[in-house]
Amino acid sequence: MHELSIIVSMMEQIVDVAKENKIEKIDEVHLETGVLRQVIPEVMQEAFASVKLNTICENAILQIIEAPALVLCKQCKSEFEPSIDDFICKICNLANVDILKGNEIILKAVIGDSRNESF
Amino acid sequence: MKVNVVKNVLKANDIVANENRNIFNKAAVLALNIISSPGSGKTTLLEKTIPALEKQKSIVIVGDLATTRDADRVSDIALQAIQINTGMSCHLYANQISESLKKLKLDEADYVFIENVGNLVCPGEFDLGENLKVVLLSVPEGDDKVAKYPTIFRVADVVLLTKSDLLGILDFDIQRVKDDIAKLNANVTFIEISSKTSSGMEEWIAWLKEKRGKSVGQQARFVTEE
Repeated sequence: MHELSIIVSMMEQIVDVAKENKIEKIDEVHLETGVLRQVIPEVMQEAFASVKLNTICENAILQIIEAPALVLCKQCKSEFEPSIDDFICKICNLANVDILKGNEIILKAVIGDSRNESF
Repeated sequence: MKVNVVKNVLKANDIVANENRNIFNKAAVLALNIISSPGSGKTTLLEKTIPALEKQKSIVIVGDLATTRDADRVSDIALQAIQINTGMSCHLYANQISESLKKLKLDEADYVFIENVGNLVCPGEFDLGENLKVVLLSVPEGDDKVAKYPTIFRVADVVLLTKSDLLGILDFDIQRVKDDIAKLNANVTFIEISSKTSSGMEEWIAWLKEKRGKSVGQQARFVTEE
């Protein structure tokens, strides 16, 4: 259930963003999660549903965008998309890579109503 | 209105983790995050490891949902042993380590062993500021665990196959485990170890001493360059 920890951290950032932009009510939250993070979208939704109660996100929808992985083979410098259980470079036949993408958990966007818009 | 944000959600944890890492490096200690399922023998391994390091001193930080049992087990042999009770949380956070660091005599220590909450999933997602990750897999858990929990084994620096004295007793295909690790990361060190018979202990201690030497050497160079 590390998903709950992630959602709690995200909520803190959303509150900051809302304050900065004078948003009173949030309709949508867009979150990008790399496939290499062990984040299960259904569990994230469950965690969000319980954490958002009595917050500015109470009626918000959480949109999770899964981002694919990309790695760089340290030997031949070729880039490829690994599967979660196979990081072997097909050219070198060795799993010796740097992760370029797939580890991110990024709050991408917040959609809501500002005070100005409600008047 | 739509506000584009692009913020790393775990940034708060990562900032504290990097602060912890700086503190470990400045104190010239090697910090190890020890991760495994419950019951794989993390504390028993520490009970054997700390005396085997002889003059080198160890601090142990233990995370468990409840009780101080694990810290109690190593309190006599470690320079210091601190128990963190995580309550409902299935992993340690960087700020829990940061709080513990205030109470520690890091300048007198060579190693900090952070025994994470028994769990093969969540601890992999939270950087604590450790220098290296040690992942244990015990023979009774079965030879399919690397394939089932690939992420934690991919990010490991060393995998210890614990309770190796049971290899001839239980059905366990060690080659299957090695092949599964090789698919994830060719750079992982693999050591078969038994806390009961001490088989593999020398190799593990040598690995620890080598890594500490390298880590402290790098820090010395860093200070010189400054």
